[in-house]
Amino acid sequence: MKVSVFDGAMGTMLQAAGLPAGYCPELWNLENPAAISKIHQTYIANGADIIETNTFGANRIKLEHYGLADQVATLNEAAVKAARAACAPHTKIAGSVGPTGKLLEPLGDLNFDTAVDVFQEQIRALVAADVDMIIIETIIDLQEMRAALIAAKTVTTKPVICQLSFGADGRTITGTDPETAAIVLSALGADVIGANCSLGPAQLLQVIEQLALHAQTPISVQPNAGMPELIHGETVFPMTPAEMAEWAPKLAAAGASYIGGCCGTTPAHIQAVKTALLHVSVTRQARQRRFDLALTSRTRTVHIGSKQPLALIGERINPTGRKAMAAEIKAGNFIGVKKEALGQVAAGAKILDVNMGVPGIDQAAAMTTVFHELSMLVDVPLVIDTTDAAALECALKAYPGRALINSVSAESERLASFLPLAKKYGAAILCLPLSDKGVPRTAAERLQCARQIIAAAFAAGLKPNDFLLDALVLTTAAEQNAALETLATLRLYRQELGYPSTMGLSNVSFGLPQRPIVNAAFCAMALEAGLDAPILNPYDERMKETLAAAAALRGEDPCGQQYSLLYAPNSAPLEAKSAALTLDTLGQIKSAVLQGEKESVIPLVEQALQEGFSSLVITDNALTAAMNEIGIAFGAGRCFLPQVLLAAETMRSAFLTLKKHLPAEAETYLGTVVIATVKGDIHDLGKNIVAALLENNGFKVIDLGKDVAPDCIVEAVRIHKPDIVGLCALMTTTMTKIDETIAAIKEAGLSPYTIVGGAVLTKEYALAAAADCFAANGVDAVTLAKSFMKENK
Amino acid sequence: MPIYNPSLQSLSAAEVQRYAGMKEAHNFPPAAITAAVQEGRLLAEAKSSWEIFPYDSATSTILAERKIELTATSIKRHLQASQHVVVLAVTIGELLEKTSEHYFAQGSYSHALLLDAAGTTAVEAAADQLEAFIRQQYAQKGFICTRRFSPGYGNWDIRFQPEILRLANAGQVNITSTESCMLLPRKSVTAVIGLQPTYRQQKLQSNSTCSTCSLTNCLSRREKRKDETN
Repeated sequence: MKVSVFDGAMGTMLQAAGLPAGYCPELWNLENPAAISKIHQTYIANGADIIETNTFGANRIKLEHYGLADQVATLNEAAVKAARAACAPHTKIAGSVGPTGKLLEPLGDLNFDTAVDVFQEQIRALVAADVDMIIIETIIDLQEMRAALIAAKTVTTKPVICQLSFGADGRTITGTDPETAAIVLSALGADVIGANCSLGPAQLLQVIEQLALHAQTPISVQPNAGMPELIHGETVFPMTPAEMAEWAPKLAAAGASYIGGCCGTTPAHIQAVKTALLHVSVTRQARQRRFDLALTSRTRTVHIGSKQPLALIGERINPTGRKAMAAEIKAGNFIGVKKEALGQVAAGAKILDVNMGVPGIDQAAAMTTVFHELSMLVDVPLVIDTTDAAALECALKAYPGRALINSVSAESERLASFLPLAKKYGAAILCLPLSDKGVPRTAAERLQCARQIIAAAFAAGLKPNDFLLDALVLTTAAEQNAALETLATLRLYRQELGYPSTMGLSNVSFGLPQRPIVNAAFCAMALEAGLDAPILNPYDERMKETLAAAAALRGEDPCGQQYSLLYAPNSAPLEAKSAALTLDTLGQIKSAVLQGEKESVIPLVEQALQEGFSSLVITDNALTAAMNEIGIAFGAGRCFLPQVLLAAETMRSAFLTLKKHLPAEAETYLGTVVIATVKGDIHDLGKNIVAALLENNGFKVIDLGKDVAPDCIVEAVRIHKPDIVGLCALMTTTMTKIDETIAAIKEAGLSPYTIVGGAVLTKEYALAAAADCFAANGVDAVTLAKSFMKENK
Repeated sequence: MPIYNPSLQSLSAAEVQRYAGMKEAHNFPPAAITAAVQEGRLLAEAKSSWEIFPYDSATSTILAERKIELTATSIKRHLQASQHVVVLAVTIGELLEKTSEHYFAQGSYSHALLLDAAGTTAVEAAADQLEAFIRQQYAQKGFICTRRFSPGYGNWDIRFQPEILRLANAGQVNITSTESCMLLPRKSVTAVIGLQPTYRQQKLQSNSTCSTCSLTNCLSRREKRKDETN
């Protein structure tokens, strides 16, 4: 294939032609069309095969900045006219469509439908004025590109070129890598996929290689003339035409068959590029295997196929039979759903199924919210699991990647409503062999049914890389040969069709006891029959074991290394346990507090009581001793605050246990502390920590909370007559309240011991504020409080 | 007014550990950190807004509709040679802090502290993401961005906070400040980034924002405390 050459920068040329800074460039299409035509002519004379209209910012959101939002059609049509006036016989005109300058939801606040409408308006005008193709360019966010491309495809059948801008890290600003971009845009029907702007040719070379490997279309590239520098108020691009020309054949070799220039390139650059490409042609082969399936999120691609790693589809985001989740969804609360998403990904799911089937809710609205939220939270691709076509379309709009549509059966209504949506939004489909006639029992019937779905999908415009076949799992308890028929279906699919396969495993064990045993056995059998992407509960331990073992047996985990890491017996805890066993009960309690073992301390305390130790002895010799040791370790930098807190929690469990068994004896009392964060200050975690540590060390703590005025503190001191007052401030703007509070206490004729602390406080400040002492941290505060009580008792 | 909602697809466990004041703790149960990281991601609702203004470095003035002259030496030095400033405000909302408070009240002290640290990590990560977004956008126009600088850094008075919130149009992401200039929600960040032309690019100082901070005893400080060397 011969390389076609685009023109170079328009903005640079317009400035050179006298466009005033800050003036709307597109307005010249009307006011000075001769200047626009002249620029086009110059590029054509220097070798451009395709010229781009001066319409980069001619959408209504951008034009709004100049008060020209109602001029979209006029400005776009004038631009095409000016281009047409310059054309040589073989010159093609590409209608340029740039970004809106706003981010789409959920990254920004622009609604997807609005964005589509904005792009449609511009593209319609360009098409009406008879451009040869549309070029959507310099887009930094995949979701905005999806909106623009869908808009283009709904208003024209002319070719559409899609060019994203990539950063130095090889991703777009919003995180999309070239492979993901290539897969999403190929599926959406882009005719050419490429990159432009932001980088020079050297940096774009790798991006182009990746696009070429994964796109099913020709590739285009329009680099800047190197990386920009701002010199004396002007943006300067350093690369000369000769340097740029050196890169052109390399870009072609990387797979680009459309090459031009972006910012900083001039007719001289284009001429040099054209000359360098005169005898260059492009041949390339996309890497994706013929029948493999690729799904993506905004930032990541997952491949499914017989030569790909097993792709687990997590099934847990489904309110069916889960009352709590259903109630949450109904109340518009998606925390539980998000928790399932994080949990399943952590447990190894590579793809997540999302079902919002709660009766009585607006499922479409729920789908929009949940697909927005999940796309921000996890980077695994999502499956849209619904029977409602409106809800499906909402999810497809909201999701900035290539989703899988669950349960496309051969039922005529389903095919008619779902397939056009899959095509429009570039989604893949999960083919479920169910027809208007019901559930096919045999493998042969299921194959027939799958063929029917695929034929309808091809007729709707889908491609061989768009399918995942469900083998259909029925219940063994109800039907003797259910499992065998499913396995036979998997084999038939692989043999006859070659598309990757899936199935919801757990149905097989319905009605049987110990279902995980049956599920795991079935999973192992299904893997051997050709299953590529099981839908399962990723938390199921037995399933995890089976999958880890299967990966080793299938040679996917060489020599079982991963398996060994997971399941080799670990000797360390045993050693720790045996060390603890050599201690007496009090020693074990102390050790449990030191280690923060909240659960194990309870039976130990009970055991100590049974052995006849008094509450006092347990407290002094085990619990307090442990806290003292922790305090010393903390002071020496050998342990850290969360460990102190964990020990305090363990201590609390121990106290509660003592209290439960010996309510009269368990009280220890060292003294009373009134504690507060001072007026104006709303940070209280630090103060809460001090309060908790004091409490667990035997002090009675009266916590006045945060943002407490001096007079309230004085009043509390008057009422409770504490031994100690603890005051905390975190900010320079609030620490003066410490001084005021101490002064107010003294003025009231009260004289508790005052300890102060907080992030910005220092010893010097504390002294100047007339505090009795300064505590650098919670442990310090406890030590100070204890020693004060010791000295004053 | 630009809105950008950062996407927290990961949170650094090491940062959570550092903000929890145990950068060097090796024997703390990793599962406790992981749980806080996961819950932090679950509860953080990251949002940000930002605005760009021309900046006159000769008079240290932000050329907003109402001109704002900067007087503190630290911010003036930070923005020297900048031609524009981006003023930004980032938050992760209230849900996380409320949940952390709830855990503390229930007696789960360490989890509450770790979750609070995850919140700090999340809001800093969100601010990092917005900063990277801005950096990349303006690099295309030939600008180098300084790292972000917040009221309270160096001698830049925290009482500048309300002005910064106004400039960043932070109301649209529901960030406000108290009379004592604390941000609400508490897990919020405001900052200013300077845009310098490439040819005036200065060698930026240490990457560590801690090096300019006077709170040398801070538990999450990146460098070792002096008394920790033994």
